[in-house]
Amino acid sequence: MEQTFLAIAVLFGLGLYIILTHQNLIKIAMGIGVMESAIILLFIILSYRPGGTAPILDADAQAYDLIVDPIPQALSLTAIVIGAGTTALMLALIIKIYNRYNTLYIDEIKKLKG
Amino acid sequence: MDTPVLLVVLPLLTAFSLGIIKTFSKKLVKAVTVISATVHLALIISVVREAMQSPIVYHLGDWDNLLGISLVIDSFSAMMALLVGVLSYGVIIYSLVYVDFHELKYYVLSFLLIAGVMGMSLTGDLFNLYVFFEIVSITSYALVAIKEEEASFEGAFKYLVMGMLSGTFVLLAIILTYQVTGALNFAQVAANFGDAPMLVRQTIFVFFLIGFGTKFCLVPLHAWLPDVYCGAPASFNALSSGIVIKASLYAFIRIVFLLFGMTAGIGQILIYWGVITFLVAHTLAYQQESLKRLLGYSSIAQIGYILLAIGLGTESGIIAGSYHIFNDGLMKATLFLGVGIFSYAVGASKIDDLRGLGFSMPKISFAFVIATLAIIGLPPFNGFISKWLILQAAWETEYIVAAFFIPVGSLLSLAYYLKVIKALYSRPEREIEVKPIDWKLRVPTYVLSAACLVMGIIPGLSLALIENIPKFLLDSSNYINLLLGR
Amino acid sequence: MRKFASLIIVVLLSGLLLMTFLSLSTADYDLSEHYINHGAEETKALNLVTAILFDYRAFDTLGEATVVFAVASTIAFLVPKRTASMISARFSIIMQQTTSLLIPFLFMIGAYIIAYGHISPGGGFAGGVILAVITILITVTFGIRYSDRQVRPEIKSFMESFGAMGFVLLGFIGIVLGGNFLANANSTLDLGVKGELISSGIIPHINLMTGLKVAAGLSIMFNSLIKEE
Repeated sequence: MEQTFLAIAVLFGLGLYIILTHQNLIKIAMGIGVMESAIILLFIILSYRPGGTAPILDADAQAYDLIVDPIPQALSLTAIVIGAGTTALMLALIIKIYNRYNTLYIDEIKKLKG
Repeated sequence: MDTPVLLVVLPLLTAFSLGIIKTFSKKLVKAVTVISATVHLALIISVVREAMQSPIVYHLGDWDNLLGISLVIDSFSAMMALLVGVLSYGVIIYSLVYVDFHELKYYVLSFLLIAGVMGMSLTGDLFNLYVFFEIVSITSYALVAIKEEEASFEGAFKYLVMGMLSGTFVLLAIILTYQVTGALNFAQVAANFGDAPMLVRQTIFVFFLIGFGTKFCLVPLHAWLPDVYCGAPASFNALSSGIVIKASLYAFIRIVFLLFGMTAGIGQILIYWGVITFLVAHTLAYQQESLKRLLGYSSIAQIGYILLAIGLGTESGIIAGSYHIFNDGLMKATLFLGVGIFSYAVGASKIDDLRGLGFSMPKISFAFVIATLAIIGLPPFNGFISKWLILQAAWETEYIVAAFFIPVGSLLSLAYYLKVIKALYSRPEREIEVKPIDWKLRVPTYVLSAACLVMGIIPGLSLALIENIPKFLLDSSNYINLLLGR
Repeated sequence: MRKFASLIIVVLLSGLLLMTFLSLSTADYDLSEHYINHGAEETKALNLVTAILFDYRAFDTLGEATVVFAVASTIAFLVPKRTASMISARFSIIMQQTTSLLIPFLFMIGAYIIAYGHISPGGGFAGGVILAVITILITVTFGIRYSDRQVRPEIKSFMESFGAMGFVLLGFIGIVLGGNFLANANSTLDLGVKGELISSGIIPHINLMTGLKVAAGLSIMFNSLIKEE
């Protein structure tokens, strides 16, 4: 449990660090992806119950004693879809910016703009 | 009976169907747009009237006992819904002439945006709030980029990066809240939240503040807004400043009052941060030459006033703050629609470009000046009333420093808005050719500007709407009981 | 300097996050207990995640579908209209034959995952992604012109609008039957027997609509992004 929390905190920090320091637009998009993965991981670890099975029952049901929490799983699906949508939108914008300036670096874009 | 949910679903359905309608007839698109917007406004008015009698709770999918998602319409939600309805209707009519780029997509995205803001204002569920928050964000990025100019792409990209960061923090706060409360609807979350450890509660507050604060432009997180406003169409600016930013603010206020209560500590953070926000924003606005940037900074400043008023945590403070949300929506929409007309008619985008327009377009300029005077806070306009109420509330609770800075802020804004008015009514260097302006551009501007005046002269009109807001905010058990159906 | 400042911010935030995680408390998860113990009985869907997504919290899913719709329509106008050739990697005949062989099977898996979303793992989103893979494969192996000729963009956007509208209209069934919007388990619909293909009221139908929508939306996004000026 603790190691996973550490991993989540590290992933989150890494993603944020990439966004804050890197100049390349694609890398910024990647940083956001890393942060999002950290959150999805958090969803999973919080829904985890030791020894629990997946929240999909058998037809005769009640065969399982312990089932992991289905709510975070449903929420994480929503979060994944939203994240994927925004990333796609971001990549489309990056393509447009690249077509205009022929560069992906924020510094050079600012220079070209004058 | 089912009207509350239609407020969200009708714009959604319209957006989904426009693409199919276009394949049959291109002319039909605008007709459907107008009809749907009109029906939507009528539905909003009927729901608001009903909600003023008694608050409405609507269980989606008939799941009572809080198993599913519920819509809750108390006075605060009703006020937001009314603001959304009035502004979006005006902007849709305005767009019929103003928008000549990617028309179909513009209407589709606008309706999705309206549905999202509506959902944010009405929902009684934490995660549902996040979903609508993201719908609003994504359609906003798209609407910023829709003009396909260099400034729009850069603005949209900046907005997108900031928006995704803010979304990440909000999502993080929500999942932590679920972990410590075991529920997602506001009622149970609010009831169980007190049991959580102190550190967790503080972290959740910080994340909500960063997350929503990025969207409603707390001062160190505001840098995206002026760039975004520069590249976006004026009709989107009006919507954004009027309802999109306000929806994030609404969500933040709702969450703070329900989860944390307006304790003295949180109140002080909000009050002083609000003061800093409006002072910094006013100072920055003074240095701007571009009209849209100036108005953008002015929008940030108004958020500061609202935060101050809400942070007071008293009944009069909340009334003043929510009244200022409503008034600022009206004023900012008028200003941005006016700027849109100026750029449509003569291509003006800087303050200097306005020279002499006061003579060649007297009526529009007059409407614009009314909104300007209102936002400075001069009597007899609505901005004066709400700023006066904020001042009074701050004085009562003995935040003398904050109360002192409110008129200082007004003076600062007087300084830069006077530049605009002066430019409008100074003699032009050469003759200006003015494109004829369609009534669809003029009428929404006139109506909104008249509303600024009317709300200032007869403040009692909206008082009936906002007088019950503190009841559901200050005492969160009222809201909880309402949602639990007790 | 900038890097140093960022580092401090990041370390502080991560530290705060870690400390928060370690002091997290648990609560009574009455809500999830209810879903686990009564969810399958109430909605007749064995897949509890589907039951939550398409019945208890179907309004969220409608919002999710809206996000995909918004992104697909945005990307469609952002990218160039002219269909230029993509950076063409010429694939050998082995690749092309294998792709054409795979497509029917992919279609079957996608359709299966959508149709059985309420009784086994899967659902509209997962199945829709697999269906979108078909058009993506066609685009990658045979080029964008061929792909757009096979499945015309107008048809895809029609499918997308149709799926989204279908979702909303299915929600109105609840109102027609005298309940609230998106009512399923609590409406007068016959939910059928738990574990059968035709059961749980409108859930499989919403799954189908979402599947259509996601498949069309994702393939619009991919085909738009891969075009080059």
